[in-house]
Amino acid sequence: MSTPTNTERPRAAALYESAKKIYPREIKGRFESLSKLATNVLLGLFYFVPWLMWDERQAFLFDLPARKFYLLGLTLWPQDFPYLALLLMIAALSLFFFTALAGRLWCGFACPQTVWTEAFIWMEQLTEGTRSQRMKLDKAPWSWNKLRRKGSKQLLWILFSLWTGFTFVGYFMPIHQLGLDILAFNVAGWTLFWGLFYGFATYGNAGYMREQVCKYMCPYARFQSAMFDKDTLIISYDEARGEPRGGRKRSVDRKLEGLGDCIDCKLCVQVCPTGIDIRDGLQYDCIACAACIDACDSIMDTMDYPRGLIRYTTENALEGRSTHVLRPRMFIYGAVITLLATALFTSMITRTPIILDVIRDRNTLYRELPGDVIENSYTVKVINQSNADRNFRLSVDGVPGLTLDGVAEQFTVVGGDVLSLPVRARTGRDNAYGIMHITFTVSAVDDETVAITEDSRFLGPTP
Amino acid sequence: MVSEEYRGRRQWSRNKQAVATVLWISFLTAAVATMLFFAVFDPVELLAAFDADLDVGRQGGYAAGFFFFWIIAAGCSATTAWLVLTAPKRDAQHR
Repeated sequence: MSTPTNTERPRAAALYESAKKIYPREIKGRFESLSKLATNVLLGLFYFVPWLMWDERQAFLFDLPARKFYLLGLTLWPQDFPYLALLLMIAALSLFFFTALAGRLWCGFACPQTVWTEAFIWMEQLTEGTRSQRMKLDKAPWSWNKLRRKGSKQLLWILFSLWTGFTFVGYFMPIHQLGLDILAFNVAGWTLFWGLFYGFATYGNAGYMREQVCKYMCPYARFQSAMFDKDTLIISYDEARGEPRGGRKRSVDRKLEGLGDCIDCKLCVQVCPTGIDIRDGLQYDCIACAACIDACDSIMDTMDYPRGLIRYTTENALEGRSTHVLRPRMFIYGAVITLLATALFTSMITRTPIILDVIRDRNTLYRELPGDVIENSYTVKVINQSNADRNFRLSVDGVPGLTLDGVAEQFTVVGGDVLSLPVRARTGRDNAYGIMHITFTVSAVDDETVAITEDSRFLGPTP
Repeated sequence: MVSEEYRGRRQWSRNKQAVATVLWISFLTAAVATMLFFAVFDPVELLAAFDADLDVGRQGGYAAGFFFFWIIAAGCSATTAWLVLTAPKRDAQHR
């Protein structure tokens, strides 16, 4: 850490006395382009995807009121929950993979907190100007110019937040209709609530809380370092090369002066969105946005020093040992992710698009009918998960002479709908005694291989 | 560690930290609990099963469930945070 001289300290204090917030300085560079690309792609996807259509309905719609999820041509039901669980496992493992590979890539480039903060900072720069202009503006007394700049920033922020809230709700109910409802001032209470809720959260988190969320509220930020090892690529300051740091003229030969490569310009601190000094070593406040790499590289270029005083490197490399980024750990994570993804994909494309639910009538054990016949009642629910209407056949098995009553030989279930059938199963008294296990089978008429079974019980008199 | 320039400026007090963390983590917990719960139970059927004289619909049911979980989780983590924060200080010799 730098030890400022006595003359520096009061000056710095006076300069930043009223500065209660971090003013990240704008910087251009390789990682800045990458981060801008990530921000644009991710936000673009977020705002664009709900408008995509598929067969006259929204391509991605988590229709909570109807309890159905539409993903392109696929319709998922609450019963398909295992897919979601599998997807979450893949996501968690991918997070492990990328953290072990190169630290907090997620934080720096993909986390919604970062991405929306980037967007909000961009709007801030648009209206209030560069870092120094913003600091000056905040310290200046209220004037027409300040009001105009601050006001237009707030206007941009609020409009953007409202649009964000609207888009968010648009994932859960048809967005075209929602748009029309909003234009007609005819939005249902809860819809409005969630839209404003999400919009407000975006405004607060990306406009004001920013790095505080990462520092104080994010669990991942606290435990991510547990996934690091000595071969993890992390953003580091090369202390051996940089120290002793110090200001110097460009013409000075640093070797003669006994100086390291760091000119102590503090640009790396000024560009940092979390306000840390990367030269103090790895810190949990660092979200790995790599802005300091860009800043330092630009200075190294001006000084005609080699780039990479701050760079992505591993602990082993910094200590001069050999380093292997592609280590067994990466292959194990990679293999497990591939396995899970393959399992998810195959089970999704080979799934039987029928769900069968059999509920035995609990009110009566069994009924005795004239002619020595025993009868049990069931409610059979057939869900057709495909999008087209389909004809099905229902059969039952497990007890000799078991027949079904109350269901036609064939019946039609509308695409994406549930058919509830009150069904009675009957057999002769000689065949029925005690608790017997039976199996219901429903199969598609057009394709007998599309079939699904469900177990139930048939009760008869106890001898 | 915060750089010299920002030292002591953007630090949250312990109480502010506790409140924000409790609300945020219980929010996430409630979101997960709501998802799991309503993947299995349909609010409309649930209300019907209890013969409740409420007609809040599915959306109202989801919202009520979410806030219920949020309150429960926030109550739990607030109590935990409070107990940890107000625990009697250890004697210096037992540190």
